[in-house]
Amino acid sequence: MKIVVAGGFGVGKTTFVGALSDITPLTTEAAMTTLAEGIDHRGDVTTKTTTTVAMDFGRVAVDQAIVLYLFGTPGQDRFGFMWNDLIHGALGAVVLVDSRRIEDSFPALDYFESRDLPFVVAVNRFDDVLHHTLDEIREALSIDPRIPVISTDARARQVVKQTVLSLLDVVLERALARAGH
Amino acid sequence: MLRPFLGRALAGAPLSAAGPDPATAGDDDNDIAQVRFYTMTGGRSRGPVALEFESMLRLTVAGRELRAGFTFERAAIADLCGSDTLSVAEISAKLRKPIGVVRVVCGDLVADGALQAFISTPSVVDDVSLITRLIAGVRAL
Repeated sequence: MKIVVAGGFGVGKTTFVGALSDITPLTTEAAMTTLAEGIDHRGDVTTKTTTTVAMDFGRVAVDQAIVLYLFGTPGQDRFGFMWNDLIHGALGAVVLVDSRRIEDSFPALDYFESRDLPFVVAVNRFDDVLHHTLDEIREALSIDPRIPVISTDARARQVVKQTVLSLLDVVLERALARAGH
Repeated sequence: MLRPFLGRALAGAPLSAAGPDPATAGDDDNDIAQVRFYTMTGGRSRGPVALEFESMLRLTVAGRELRAGFTFERAAIADLCGSDTLSVAEISAKLRKPIGVVRVVCGDLVADGALQAFISTPSVVDDVSLITRLIAGVRAL
């Protein structure tokens, strides 16, 4: 099982993953294919460019049979095929937000909304300060009022645990709704 | 401030699950690493067995016998999965190879019977009892 931890560069994804992981987060590379538009030497055609994106991930042995993986991935302007692979079978996502750079989280929000993946918005406290209230951030993000917007601290294991539990509550709610409860 | 990208992910981004087109995958021919990956997978972005990044893999008894005939990445993967049950992502990280490529080679090894895969199905998101158990487990961490 896996959850995805997304957000802009430097927002604390790896710290968040590491706070809960049994292992020091590992890094893997994924090739992202994006379409580069414009004119190149072959004329007016669209070409593919491949960029490499690093994903940091950790694992948590939840019980004897369940291993939960947490994948921390940068929010890109464009989401290549690797993102589809990454969220395939994922329970949901935590979108980490830096309250000083809220817009960095927009691509991830757009993507998860379009794929109907459950997510929570977690505002990482830097220097123990939130630069905007959670209500202000919710308004700036223009997300569904049912989506939790919470504050978190990527350095603190117990707080990270609570953030993941907030997501799992949303996941459970959805599963129950689909099961007709 | 409003989100300027609203709706764009639906309209513009390439959301198809298609991998790189084999016909163009070799375009970066000045990139030796790219060519090497291409030869490892024959340009495929999907293996014969559909694995997720988090699918866990273990070397089988048959795999231990097949191991002697393996070279390079196959041997390295067999060795990693001989002593531990590891995910595709962990194998990729330990071998420092791109995860998409490692997944294809692992899929080949599963198809050959050298590795056993533990795959959670996408329907895990509908499995109320499993999610409930996961929540209890995370709470107890």
